[in-house]
Amino acid sequence: MKNLLKMWIPLALAVMLGACEKEAGTDKEKPTIDLSHQDAFPVNCDTLYFGEPFVLKMMFADNSALGSYSIDIHNNFDHHSHSTEVEECHPDPVKAPVNPFTSIEDYPIPAGLTSYQTSLTINIPAGNGNGLYDEGDYHFFISLTDKAGWSAQKGLSVKMLHR
Amino acid sequence: MNKFFMLLAGMGLWGGLLYGQAAFTLSGVVADDNNTPLTGASVLLFPVAKGTVTDVKGHFLVADLPRGHYSVEISFVGFATLRDTLTLASNRIYNVRLKPSLVSLQEVVVTDHYAETRKREESLNIEVVNHDYLKQNLGGSLMKSLERLPGVTTLDIGSGQSKPVIRGLGFNRVVVLENNIKHEAQQWGADHGLEIDQYAVDNVEVLKGPASLMVGSDAIGGVIDIKNRMLPAENTFGATVDLTGKSNNDFAGASLSLYGRKGRFYANFRATLIDYGDYKVPTDSVDIYSYRAALYQNHLRNTAGSERDLHLTLGMFDEGFQSKLFISSVRSKSGFFANAHGLEPRNVDTALYDASSRDIHFPWQSVHHFKVSNSTQVRRKAITLSADFGLQRNFRQEWSQYVSHGYMPAVFPDSLPFDPDLERQFDKDVFSGNVRLSHQASKKMVITAGISSELHDNRIEGRGFIVPAYRQWSAGGFALVKYSFTGKRMLQAGIRYDYGRLKVESYSDWFPTPVIVNGDTSMVYLERAGSLNRHFSSLTWSVGYTHQQGNWSYRANVGRSFRMPIAKELAANGVNYHHFSYEVGNPGLAPEVSYQLDAGAEFSGKQIAMGFTPFVNYFSNYIYLNPTSEHDRLYGNGNQVFRYTQSEVFRIGAEIHAHYQIINSVQLGVVGEWVSSRQLTGEKKGFSLPFSPPASAVFNVKYQLPKLKLIENGYVSVDVRFTAPQNDIVPPEETTGGYQAINLSLGGDFKFGSRTIDLSFQVQNLFNTQYFNHTSYYRLINVPEPGRNVVVNISIPFSGQIKE
Repeated sequence: MKNLLKMWIPLALAVMLGACEKEAGTDKEKPTIDLSHQDAFPVNCDTLYFGEPFVLKMMFADNSALGSYSIDIHNNFDHHSHSTEVEECHPDPVKAPVNPFTSIEDYPIPAGLTSYQTSLTINIPAGNGNGLYDEGDYHFFISLTDKAGWSAQKGLSVKMLHR
Repeated sequence: MNKFFMLLAGMGLWGGLLYGQAAFTLSGVVADDNNTPLTGASVLLFPVAKGTVTDVKGHFLVADLPRGHYSVEISFVGFATLRDTLTLASNRIYNVRLKPSLVSLQEVVVTDHYAETRKREESLNIEVVNHDYLKQNLGGSLMKSLERLPGVTTLDIGSGQSKPVIRGLGFNRVVVLENNIKHEAQQWGADHGLEIDQYAVDNVEVLKGPASLMVGSDAIGGVIDIKNRMLPAENTFGATVDLTGKSNNDFAGASLSLYGRKGRFYANFRATLIDYGDYKVPTDSVDIYSYRAALYQNHLRNTAGSERDLHLTLGMFDEGFQSKLFISSVRSKSGFFANAHGLEPRNVDTALYDASSRDIHFPWQSVHHFKVSNSTQVRRKAITLSADFGLQRNFRQEWSQYVSHGYMPAVFPDSLPFDPDLERQFDKDVFSGNVRLSHQASKKMVITAGISSELHDNRIEGRGFIVPAYRQWSAGGFALVKYSFTGKRMLQAGIRYDYGRLKVESYSDWFPTPVIVNGDTSMVYLERAGSLNRHFSSLTWSVGYTHQQGNWSYRANVGRSFRMPIAKELAANGVNYHHFSYEVGNPGLAPEVSYQLDAGAEFSGKQIAMGFTPFVNYFSNYIYLNPTSEHDRLYGNGNQVFRYTQSEVFRIGAEIHAHYQIINSVQLGVVGEWVSSRQLTGEKKGFSLPFSPPASAVFNVKYQLPKLKLIENGYVSVDVRFTAPQNDIVPPEETTGGYQAINLSLGGDFKFGSRTIDLSFQVQNLFNTQYFNHTSYYRLINVPEPGRNVVVNISIPFSGQIKE
C-alpha cells in the first residue's frame, strides 16, 4: 500500500502542474476576407486593364486584431492554378508567356483594427522595357494575416487586357 | 532466376541434412550480488540467437547446442547486462551474478525473447524492440512501426516518410544512431524521412528524454538507437528471404539476406527492393487551405515511390576483441501530393496523373544515402575501449516543373548550370568519430570517459533557395561515474563539454528583382543569406538515482541538455513548398538549453506489471518557427513570413503502461501517453508548440496460441487506439478531432520439416475510419490518414554448414 502511494505522488503532482498551466486567452481564430458585398473588387472572373489604375475593395475582419495583407498577381497561362471560388471562369487556351505581368506587394493595416475596408488604388503599367505585357488569364492572390499569425487566403481568376 | 532458386533450394537441403550433430547443453543459475536468484532474467546465446528465461529459482537451460564458440548475454531489468564469450565442447554449467544498473541512463540491451522484449518495451525511459516486433507491427517506415511505443509519435508526410518524435520533440531534437554513428541527413526538412532500411534493422532502442551527456548536441529530446547485432553460427552460411505486401498502396517489398561465418570471421549481405503506389485515403476530395482538390478513386495523387538498398557487414571477433565494418547504400524516389506542392495549391493534368497509381510525376524527390562505418571494441581485464568511425553522404534532390518565383523570369534562361526543373539539391558529407574508455575501478564503481567529433559539409544547387551551403565542426568530451551502494541503490553522475563552429556561405539570387529606393527602381541580385561564422559551447550534466525494493523500482534523473542552432534556423530564407509559407532564419540565435526532471515507478509481478513515468522540462530558449503577421514581397507569392525566434517553454508529460496476464495465454495491456507544452515568453506567449501530439492510449488483448505441431509462437492480437482531440494549437494549425482506430495482427512460425517459415498478418485501420493525425504534415491540408491496410509479411530462412 505504501508503495502504491509512492507511485501516485508523482501523478498527483503532474496533474496539479498541468492544471496550473492552462492557456490564458490566446487568439485561436483566423481572420476573414469578405468579397460578398456589393462593391467588392476584383471578384472572381473580373477583368483588369493594363495601363489603368483600379481600386481594391475588400472587407477584412478578425476577432482580435488584423495584421497585414499581400496582393500577388501572376500569369495563369498554363492553367496551373484554380480559384478558391465556386464559380468557374472561362479561361483562354494554354499559351507560353512572352512578357507576362508580375506584381507582389505587401500592405500594412493600421494596428489594433478588428475590421478594415480597403480602398487601395493599384496602378497597373501597360508594359516594361521589353514591351507591352501579355494579355490573358491571370491569378489574383490575396493573403491576410492577423496579429497572432493566423492567415486566410483567396485566389481569384481574372483576365488582364489592354483597353 | 531459376539457378538462383536452385541455389536457395540446395542451401535448404544442406541445412536439413547437416542438422542433428553432437549437441550439448548450457545451464546455470542467474543471481544478484546478494546471491538471491533472479526470476525472469533473459539468457541469450549468439550466434544461434537461442534464448530462454530463468525460472523461479533463477535456473536456465539451453539445449541442442553444437560445439563451438558462443557469446552469451544475460540481462534483467535494473541490472547491468552481462556479456561473455565461452567455448562449448561438453555440457557446461555457467553460474552468474548480475550487478545492479541505472536503467534510466544505461543502454539497455535487447533480447530476442519476445516476452522479455514486451516487458522491456514498457520499462522506464527506454523502449526496446527487436526484429519480431518490427515484423508484427510493420508500418510504412521504421518510425511508423515504432509509433505504438509509449511516448513515441511520428511526423509524417505521405505513406513512406516519417520522422521520429519523442515526447513531442522532433526534427533536430532527436538523434538517430546507427551502429553508434549519428545518422546525418536533412533532419530539419518536413518532407525528409529516415534513410534506414526497415528490413535491415534487428533491434532498436528508444531513449526518451535528454541524452546530450552520452550523445552530444541534438539529443535534447531523445535517441533512436539502431544496432545491427546479428552474428551467424560458427561455420554456417545461409539466407533469409523476406516478402511483404500491403493492400493500401499496393506495396511490394522483397529483401534477401545472405550470411556466412568461418571461425572468427563473418559476413552479411542484404539487398532490398521496394515499390509502392499512391496511397488511398477514405475521402473523395481534400481542402488545401481554401482550394478543393478532387481525388481519383481515393488515391492521394502522386504519392507512389520506390526504394533500393544494399548492405554489407564484415566482422571479426576474438577473446576480448571485436570489430565490425558496415557499408550501406539506401536509395529512394517518392512523389509528393501533386496538388499541394509549390507556391500555391496547384491544378494538375488529371488525365496524366490519374492514368496510373504507380507512376511518379512532378513533384518528386530522390535521396541517396551512402554510409561506411566501423565499430571496434577491445577489452582487457577491467578496461574496455571502444571506437566508432563513420563517413556518410546524403544526396537529395527535389524536382518540380519550373514555376517562376517572385521575380524569376517567366521563361527559364538556358545559360544557367542547373536543370530548370531541379527545385532544390542538397549534398551533405559527414565524418564522425567516437572513442570511449570504460574502467571498472572497484566492485562498486565504473568510470567511463569519451570524446567525439563531427564534421559536416553541405552543398546546395537548384533554382529555389531555403538553406545555405555550410560547414560545421563540433567536438565534445564527457566523463561518467556509476556508483552502487549496498542494497539495490545506485547513483550515476556525468558531465560533458561541447564546442562547435558553423560557417554559412552567402547566397545571392540567380535572377534580378526590382527594388525601389527613393522612388527609383533598380534591378538587384538579392542576397538571401549573408556569410556567417558562429561558434557555440556548452556544459551539460546529468545525475540519476535508482532504487529497487522487492517488485518495485523507482528512478529519478535530473539533467541539463543543449542543442546548437542549425544552419536552417540561422540562415533560412525561402519558401516552404508544403506550407506555402516563407521561412526566415535568425543569425543571432543562442544554443537551446533544456533542464529536465524524469521520474519513474515500476512494478513487475508475476501476473501484473505497471509503470508510470512522468517528466517536467523547461527550455530557457526554445527555437521556434513563429508565424508572423508579415508578408514577403520579394521571393514567393506574397507568402506569410515565418521567423525563427526563441522563447521560454515549459513542458510536462507522462507515459503509463500496465499489463495483466489473465491466464497463461491471454494478456491484457494498456499503454498511454500525454504531453503538454506552453510558451512562457515571446510573441506566442500562452500558445503551445506546433505538432503537439494529443493524449492517446492503446488497449491491447493478446492471445498466445498453445504450441502446435506445425505452428509455434502463434499469436492473435488486437490494438484499439483512442486518441483525444487536440485543441491546443498554434497558427497555422487546425484543431483535430479525437478518434478510435483498430489494428488486428496475427501470425506465428510455421514448421515445414526442419524449416520454420515466419508469417505475420496485420489489418491496420480495420474499419476504414476517416480520421486526422494532428502530427501529420498533410493534416494542414486536410488529408486524412490512410484507409484500411492489409499487411502480409513472410520470412523464409535457408541455412547450411561449412565443412571444416
